[in-house]
Amino acid sequence: MKRFRVGFQLAVLAAVLATGFRFAMGWSRTSIETYCPFGGLESALSLFTQQRFTCATGERNLALFLALLGLTLVTRKSFCGWVCPVGAVSEWFAALGRKLFPKTRREGDGAPLHALEPTRRVDRLLRWLRLPVLAAILYFTFRTGELIFRGFDPYYVLFSFHGHDVFAWSYAVVGAVLLGVVLFPMAWCRYLCPLGVSLWPFSAVGRLRLVRNEGTCTGCGACDRACPQAILVSRKPEVRSGECTLCFECTEVCPEKDALTLRFRGLRP
Amino acid sequence: MKIPGWIVPLMIVAFTLAGLGGAELFAIPSVIVDYPEDRADRGGEMRTVTLLVEGVKCVDTARSAARTLEGEEGVIRFTAYASRNRVEVLFDAGKTTVQGIVEALEGPVFEKETGEFHFGLYRVVEIDGAGISE
Repeated sequence: MKRFRVGFQLAVLAAVLATGFRFAMGWSRTSIETYCPFGGLESALSLFTQQRFTCATGERNLALFLALLGLTLVTRKSFCGWVCPVGAVSEWFAALGRKLFPKTRREGDGAPLHALEPTRRVDRLLRWLRLPVLAAILYFTFRTGELIFRGFDPYYVLFSFHGHDVFAWSYAVVGAVLLGVVLFPMAWCRYLCPLGVSLWPFSAVGRLRLVRNEGTCTGCGACDRACPQAILVSRKPEVRSGECTLCFECTEVCPEKDALTLRFRGLRP
Repeated sequence: MKIPGWIVPLMIVAFTLAGLGGAELFAIPSVIVDYPEDRADRGGEMRTVTLLVEGVKCVDTARSAARTLEGEEGVIRFTAYASRNRVEVLFDAGKTTVQGIVEALEGPVFEKETGEFHFGLYRVVEIDGAGISE
């Protein structure tokens, strides 16, 4: 499943790069922003109040965002773990960080931490940073009618081939973000991504969940160490966290057969 | 109920296709401009032409494009769908032609703030679904 997921991520990345390159060369009128579901959310306030889209967004962004909400209600934040090219690049940079800083340490309760990874308590606090980031982006985008943060957006800066509004400081900011991801695993997704936090409430009630079979699980903790979102899988009967991206890294490393299985949970609690 | 892992990418593809397909089902105009009614003959033949215009990509550029038609006799209504670079123009066929509208759109744009003319801001690449060769 891991190879398949990486293949899926590479295919999406190739499509995004091709779209960005074709637009930059003037061969196509479709920019990479057209396919960003976050554009639908950014436009939502303008649509409600002024019946118009924010500049550079349109029907496709809105429809993709609504589809993404539907997807998240079923498959949690699978978009982040399978589709988002920034998520994919973050994973690869985080893997590089683990190679550069291979030492691990443990918290007081024995939970594993990578070398520079913040403790679970600090991690939980830092995750709230995403809310003011989201609020600031939505507010200023609505006030100006422009995607004024696109110059800081890793998706746009990395894949637009030096698009409109990308300057030297854009690369500096995104470079700093990528360096942060190397030092602190998945720092962008965990602490800054505005789309990730807007999906969180939908993901928390998502119906597909990884369930741990307490009969076969030996509690070795391999799944805890593998989870890119720092979820302590081995300590829960099922993964309910809204941060789960269904990346299957935990099932991949689990040495026991059927100790972790994907299950559909009905609407009853 | 135990579910195989491949259901996740399958759902992703299904929802993405639904989103892309759903986007084709609706269109929200970015700008609608109604020009003075006395520009058209009462009882004249009204026509609508749909143009794909490079340069019309947001509300501001659509408004600016609408200004290029202010001096064009017979143009009644300008509707822009900026996210699709699409413009619909309702006009009196007795007073102007599609060619006249295209020439006005591709002509110089006067910017009030700076008092300057800008050239080549808009380029019509399709008329009623048919591409224009260079």
